[in-house]
Amino acid sequence: MSKKNNADKKSAAISGFDWLLGETIRACALMLMALGVVFVSSAAARLDAEYNIRKLYAYTEFRQAIFFIPAIIIMQIFASLNYRRWSIRKNGLPGLLCNPMVWAMLISLILLVIVLIPGIGIEKNYARRWLEIPLGPVRMSFQPSELAKWCLVFLMAAVLAQWQPPVKSFLRRFLPLCGLAGITVALIVIEDFGTAAFVAVLAFMIMLFGGVVWWYLLTPLPPAACGFFFSIVTNPTRINRLKSFFTPDPNAVSAEAYQITQSLIAIATGGLWGKGLGNGISKYGHLPEDTTDFIFAVICEELGLAGACLVIFLFIMLLLCGIIVVLRCKDRFGQLLASGIVLTICLQAAINIAVVTQCLPTKGIALPYISAGGSGLLLTAAASGVLINIARSSYIRIS
Amino acid sequence: MKSIHIAVIAGFLAIAGFFGLAARCAWLGYWNFEDYAKQAGKPQNTIVPEPARRGSILDCRGRVLAASEKSYLIFAEPRAIDDAKAVANELAPLIDMPAHDICIKITESRNPGFVKIRSSVSLDEPLIRRINMIRGIGIQTEWTRIYPTAELTSHVVGFTRSDHVGAEGLELQYDRQLSGTDGRLVFYADAMRRPIALKSLESHPVDGSDLITTIDVSIQGIVREELLTQINAFKAESGIGIVMDPYTGAILAMVCLPDYNPVQREKLNTDAMRNRCLTDPYEPGSIFKPMVAAWALDCGVINTTEQIFCENGNYHGKGFGTIGEYRRGFGNLTVGEILQESSNIGMAKIGQRMGAQKIYEGITVFGFGKPTGLDLQGEQAGTVRPLAKWSGYSVARVPFGHEVNVTAIQIARAFCILANSGRSIQPHLVKATIDKDGRTIKLKHSTATAGYIIKPEVAKWIVSKALVDVVNKGTGRNAKLERWQVFGKTGTANIANVGGSGYDEQNYVASFAGGAPAENPKIVVLVSIRKPDRSLGKGYTGGAISAPAAGKIIERTLNYLEKSSI
Repeated sequence: MSKKNNADKKSAAISGFDWLLGETIRACALMLMALGVVFVSSAAARLDAEYNIRKLYAYTEFRQAIFFIPAIIIMQIFASLNYRRWSIRKNGLPGLLCNPMVWAMLISLILLVIVLIPGIGIEKNYARRWLEIPLGPVRMSFQPSELAKWCLVFLMAAVLAQWQPPVKSFLRRFLPLCGLAGITVALIVIEDFGTAAFVAVLAFMIMLFGGVVWWYLLTPLPPAACGFFFSIVTNPTRINRLKSFFTPDPNAVSAEAYQITQSLIAIATGGLWGKGLGNGISKYGHLPEDTTDFIFAVICEELGLAGACLVIFLFIMLLLCGIIVVLRCKDRFGQLLASGIVLTICLQAAINIAVVTQCLPTKGIALPYISAGGSGLLLTAAASGVLINIARSSYIRIS
Repeated sequence: MKSIHIAVIAGFLAIAGFFGLAARCAWLGYWNFEDYAKQAGKPQNTIVPEPARRGSILDCRGRVLAASEKSYLIFAEPRAIDDAKAVANELAPLIDMPAHDICIKITESRNPGFVKIRSSVSLDEPLIRRINMIRGIGIQTEWTRIYPTAELTSHVVGFTRSDHVGAEGLELQYDRQLSGTDGRLVFYADAMRRPIALKSLESHPVDGSDLITTIDVSIQGIVREELLTQINAFKAESGIGIVMDPYTGAILAMVCLPDYNPVQREKLNTDAMRNRCLTDPYEPGSIFKPMVAAWALDCGVINTTEQIFCENGNYHGKGFGTIGEYRRGFGNLTVGEILQESSNIGMAKIGQRMGAQKIYEGITVFGFGKPTGLDLQGEQAGTVRPLAKWSGYSVARVPFGHEVNVTAIQIARAFCILANSGRSIQPHLVKATIDKDGRTIKLKHSTATAGYIIKPEVAKWIVSKALVDVVNKGTGRNAKLERWQVFGKTGTANIANVGGSGYDEQNYVASFAGGAPAENPKIVVLVSIRKPDRSLGKGYTGGAISAPAAGKIIERTLNYLEKSSI
């Protein structure tokens, strides 16, 4: 007991390497966020630009810049909070009730239900994924699925950290955890196939990292496959996306095929060094979703292959730092949480880039740090802050 | 193996994945660049033409009939203007427009990006600079087509549509030469095809060529003035006047009344826009006789001294009906006297001697029945019935200009052939083009050297003896001049009833075709006045109406040509 208390106390004894590791993560995150601010501004450029200073929040390009500073502050706050705060410190129900992530998970599940109600959930691009929260003069829109994703990662890491691997007991341990992930995914898949599939993969991988017996993990696959198959065949948009992926046709007129063709055009015409910052053409109405899901294509067009490599390099750096953090961390919760965070960010980035370069069918998945969207940016910044804190806390030893 | 090591392995797999994605980007951007650049080309580019200057149309002495003038369009961008009143006050004196009107245009504009303040403004360099200094006001250059001679040359010159494409007259006929080639500026475009930024200048505009016409504005003015006087005096429906050079086929003047102002588009009506010289064939009547007589002499059917009995004004028989004279009957007349007195019976008898075949040949050789090929659109062929349909009536009627329909330009050309001693000519309006570099390109028209279609001595006798007598002693006395020996022939033709047989006995076309000086003709003139008001009691015949006008035109034109040619 006393050992644990000591560990939870903030200590000034941070090693130089740990500090460097944390700062490298911060630098990567900040550079990616800064790139996001620049390219959201560039991609949001319009010909008939006229700005009303009172409606500043209504402009995507300014909104991203407005969120940049809070994101830095939030990253710093979460980096200075001991990551053990997110673990389950007591056994049984009291331990669960003391964990803020449990409540956050509950709230996000409720929000996922609320967002489905027509009139409350905001429909964009034929999918009801957004909630609008009136915040003073502005209405901040926000995707509950983003919050649910992060809550699930944190909560699963916390729960799995309590159990020594290999995690056995199918009914008492695996099934409740799997059920939580299943409910979350099921609520998301109704309106957002891409995020749901992504969250399912995340949950699967975190359980694998957590030492769940491997054949347990095979059991949810048949029902999950059925569920996803059903959600695909009932939705013509998803069928179109798959069709346009498997039969690429540059002259196709369907919205999905047009989008991916425009994306490839943007990437290809960028060449080696790009057309120069702000000189892209695709963003003027040719490439749909240029500030969000397809912002990577805009980066490629304006900064060329060099810009693409820069972005990919930063994510690789983040991955490398994450691997080092996991290897150095002596706390099982820290290991699981760090790998969950890094995986969430980098896997999402990889999927996004793969979609933009037509390596995967089109999904509604944003590029972390960079795509326009304030709430998503703040959540990613918070998670990065937690990762920084784990990186600095390699001295903590609990077993 | 610890389970967390799976995470590490997953991390390295993800790194490998990122390398794969980088390779994919490189493949797309570096090795596939050309393919996608081509695909991007069309929707991402928009072509903005830079209009070329349309060529001018000049008269034979270089006076401007039509030209393109660079002018400016003043526009405002309302969203960039905070104080419309101040801007309006600043702009008003520069473009000579009430400040209040400018202010209203700016404030009531529905388009926040563009509102036209005033178009076709002419500005000089300092003024342009001053206007450009005003915030929210801009200038665009545009071309305006101007027609300094307005109504005077309307039917010849025509006009352009608002998009600067020829719509009528020479503007239409020579549109390809006049219009030049617009320059092409390639802009990057957004999805709405609005230009974003200049990509490349694909080509510079190539200005159009200028046209030098055969028209002489001074002569055109003389013809119009005389024609207008007669039309007003006799309350006629319309009139035609043509002045031609008999040797070259150059048209010095071509006037149709009523005419129109090519600039006032809103008042245009198709009736006034018709170039009647080309589009309205009519039965020529007696002005047709000299050609038939010349052909008869040329064929040797008659000779100049032979007497033809003119039946004392009443000639009838089986197969050709009854033919009378205009006023009184005649006894024996030579062919010269038949023309001088304009005897229908005499001409009918000459026709009967020739027979259908020869008459048909003759009028075809003179070019009736097919367009003359004048370089204007809308020319009609007239009607010469195919030989198989000719009856006894035709043989006795065609020689004095019935049962055929001809256009004014055909008659004018036929008189030119007589006047130039029987050589065929090509009527034309444009003699040369001048391209943008100042090179003059002469247009080739077959001229009087082409060969004789009738014997020169026959043509000379018709012009300098028979047609001179018409003016000196016969029906054309009103065209007689002191200074110049005029030759010519009058004609008073019935107008065939529309859609029925027979003639409208109240309405006539009064014509005079001729020229001067008879010994060595410089000009050929045709004046045709349609439907003079008979109730005025001032006469309705070619001799009464058209001959005096033609005489005045000849006198003034020859005086003018004498003075202006050094």
